[in-house]
Formats: sequence, C-alpha cells, structure tokens
Amino acid sequence: MADNRPRENSLGIAGWVWAGNYTLERYLYLLHRVTGLGLILFGIFHLTATTIFRVQGEAVWNATMEFLNNPVFMVGEFLVVTAFAFHALNGLRLILQELGFTLGKPVPPIYPFKDAIRRKRLWTLVTLAAVMVLVVFFFIDFAAGGPG
Amino acid sequence: MKNAYLNFAQMITGIMVAVLLFIHIAVQKLGVILSFLGFKISDPLAFNSMMERARQGLWAGIYICLLAFGLFHALNGLRNILLETGLSPAKMRTLTWLIIIFGLIFFALGTYVPLVLLTT
Amino acid sequence: MSGDAVKNIIFRVQRYNPEKDERPHFEEFTVPVKHGTTVLEGLLYIKENLDSSLAFRTSCRMGICGSCGMLVNNNPHLACHTQVEEFHSNKLTLKPLPNLPIIKDLVPDLTTLFEKHRSVKPYIIRPDEEEMEKPAAEFTQKQKELDEFLQFTYCIKCGLCIAACPTSASDKKFLGPQALGQAFRYCADSRDAGQDQRLAIVDAEHGLWNCHFAAACSEACPKGVDPAFAIQLLRRRVVGSAIGAAKAHTPAGVVAPQTETRAKVPVPEFTVKPK
Repeated sequence: MADNRPRENSLGIAGWVWAGNYTLERYLYLLHRVTGLGLILFGIFHLTATTIFRVQGEAVWNATMEFLNNPVFMVGEFLVVTAFAFHALNGLRLILQELGFTLGKPVPPIYPFKDAIRRKRLWTLVTLAAVMVLVVFFFIDFAAGGPG
Repeated sequence: MKNAYLNFAQMITGIMVAVLLFIHIAVQKLGVILSFLGFKISDPLAFNSMMERARQGLWAGIYICLLAFGLFHALNGLRNILLETGLSPAKMRTLTWLIIIFGLIFFALGTYVPLVLLTT
Repeated sequence: MSGDAVKNIIFRVQRYNPEKDERPHFEEFTVPVKHGTTVLEGLLYIKENLDSSLAFRTSCRMGICGSCGMLVNNNPHLACHTQVEEFHSNKLTLKPLPNLPIIKDLVPDLTTLFEKHRSVKPYIIRPDEEEMEKPAAEFTQKQKELDEFLQFTYCIKCGLCIAACPTSASDKKFLGPQALGQAFRYCADSRDAGQDQRLAIVDAEHGLWNCHFAAACSEACPKGVDPAFAIQLLRRRVVGSAIGAAKAHTPAGVVAPQTETRAKVPVPEFTVKPK
C-alpha cells in the first residue's frame, strides 16, 4: 500500500443502534428515532385512507373500515398508538431538557462522576411510567377489540 | 439563526401535534372511554358521525392545524435524520426540495378534502 | 484480596499496520495481571516483553493527558484509568476509538477533533484589546460565576465522547460533543464577550442541533465533564438569543488596584523562619 493515510473507522449508521454498553437514554434516543420514522409511514397511509376513501361516499368508507377490521391492522393500530405515546411523552421530556430545564446546575466533578441526566434520572422514569399508563390503556382497548 | 428557528419550530410543533393528536385519538376512542363510565354512544368512526364532525368548522380547523403542524414536524424531523447520514451538500439540497414538494402536495391533498366536505 | 496473586489475562488487541495490512485483525497476548494492574500497564508489558511493534499512545498514565483513549470490551475508556479487574473477565478486547481514523494499531487520528475544537474559538474573547495584550491586573470572577462552568473546563480532549456519540458515528462534519461542550464552557465564562461569535458557529447544520441528547458522551467521559449537559445549556442560549430572550452580558472588568496594604500575618512560632 503506497499511501498510508489513516484508515476510516466510523461506525456509520450502525453506530445509531449500538456503540457500547450505555444506559437508558442512549436507547430512548434510538427508540425516538425509530418511532418517529414509523409514525411518518403511518401518517402517509392514514392520510391517504381518510382523504381518498372518504370523499367517495359512505359505501367506500364502510368497505374500507371493513377491510381494516382484521387482526393484522388491529395490532398495527396498537403499535402506532404505543409509538405515538412514547414519541409524544419522550419528546416533551427532550424539549424540556434540551432547553436546560429539569437538569439542575453544573456541579464540581468529584469522583465518582455522575452526569446531569443520571442525577435527574427520575424525570426519565416518570416519562416512561406515563408512557406505560397510556400503553396499558391502549392495550385494554386493543384487547376489548375496539373498531379498527 | 435559520437552524435555531427551524429547530425551535420543531419543538413548538411537536407540542402542538402531541396535544391535537391526543384530542384526535381521544375522540376516536370516545366510545371506549365512555363505556368505561357506563355510557353508550354511536360509534365515532361511523360514516354519519364522521361526516357530521367534518361539517363543523372547529373540527375542520383542528384537522387542518394537525395536518400542517404534523407535516412540518415529520418532514423537518426526517430532514434532520437525513442530515446525519453523511450525504453530500448537493444531494442534501435536492432531498430538501423533494421533501418540501412532497409536503406541499400532501398538505394540498389533506386540506382539499376537509374543505370540500365543509362546503357540501 | 491478596495483593500479590498473579492472574493471566488474555489481551485481544486489534492490529492494523497501514504498510502491510489490508484490514485490521486481532492478535492475542497473555498478560500477567495483579490486583490494581491497569489496562495501560498490560499494554506496556506486551510492548516490553511480547511484541515491540504494538503501537498505542500514552504519556502521563494518570488520566490527565488524554492520550490513551481506546475501546476496552467495546466501551470507550482511558487505558491508564481503567483496571483490568473492573471487567471481571479473563479476556479483554482492545480496539482503537471508533469515529476517528486509525493511524496504526490502537492509535486514532485526533486531527479532526482538534480542528473542530479550534473552530469554536475556545479562548476568551474580549472587546478591550489593550487589556488583553498588556494586562494591568487580573479579571474579576466570583466563585459563583466560576461554578457555572468549572465542570466543563476539565476536558482533556481524549476523544472518548466522539467515540460514544451516535451522531458523530454517521456524520463526519458534526462538531461533536467535545467542541460543543467547550463552546459552552467559554460562553459561560463571565470574563468572555464572544458568545455571539460562537453561537453563530454552533447554530449551523452539523452543529448544535444534531445533538439529540442520547447522553452517551457524558457517560463515557472519564473526567466528569458532562458534555451532553453543556450542549443542552448551550442550546438554551441559542434559542434564547434567537427568540430575543437572552440576558444582556457585560464581561467582567479587571480587579481594582490595591490601595491599602494590610499588615502581614505573623509567622507562627513553630514554622521554620526565613533567614
């Protein structure tokens, strides 16, 4: 090898998924991104269904509702509302924390170090608890077999 | 400053979408929520009740706001993710325009129907 | 724990010699390890006794210079700051820091890190050039003002945060936790007046806004600098100045010259008196 330029060693997009054994927020970041992309896909599907089929009148609408009323779409709907609950509440936490709220003040670095987000881990746990409450509610609705 | 405004708008629209979508889902699940409390109402997803909502200006307003905020939040978020994938600035510019055009088309499609229903 | 018990640990080291190798490969070395042996001491043992061609960077061996950052069992650590016993394993995997190019074996190329660090103007910027060139006295700073950024001054530019950051993994132009954290450190300094210049630099594409607060950088940081926290505080300032809610800031002035001299504290009897 003639030229000895340093060898590229970036993790690339795989680095979004895994870069080491980090704790909670590192994976909430990933989940936030994945649910966001999932909600975009659902939004496109949902908007198409509710515009194009709705203007065509009652018969087409009822046929669409009939078509969507099967287990596959019901599970899909449950996943979408779960993703929404997570993305919304985690998003609210991120907005607050990215604007510097709920994180406290800088502290002198005295060993063992604890970063701001771990000192205020409670807020993350509160967010996740709220998500779980919503998900349980959605699950009851899903198990009860609400209209698709 | 452009990036600061875009991303601050991302935060604001995020809050708006969360609130409006919560209303939207709550209305769709109204039957379930009320049946917990012992009431029975007509299915909010039935064609008639849906058309009735579509003819009210308030609901049309809510849906159009939700669409506008949601599209901005979704597409700006998508662009933010694409920015981090290491694409060249030229490709990024093309993608940004594609995203803007896609957003405008979808906004036109999504507002056309409520407006048609509002006037019929 | 008996202090002298020697245990053999296998060091699985990623080797890459740009002059010979097409791609990196792993080599295993058996290293005798005692209670308290650091990973760096293990590497020095390999270099002295087993394979002198092994390349790694080290200088102070006490967590101050930031030379020996590497992936130990897939997590970024300073090799000198990390004891082999911490991992409770008979095998350690050592790799160079990711998201930075490899020069040889465990040596990453930190050029981009330093360029990005330099790009955020990491120094005190003041309007009074005269005072900066020919200082008459020191600038005033209260303990409270120091506490607002003291934590962020401990950065040793080791690159562990860059290795941990998910955005740095895919986006090479991203300023990275190190540079953004240092931008906040100088913006928060009460002696500084360069905030507007720095905010214009970080508030750009591949800048501040590509941080999504995964906080892996803060977890990886060996000095407790907490770059993720600094970035969120910096973001607060950027949003504040964008919506016109920023507080006006005048840089601290110089200490007034002393007018009266106090009597010297008497030298205690038991100390050695100056002749």
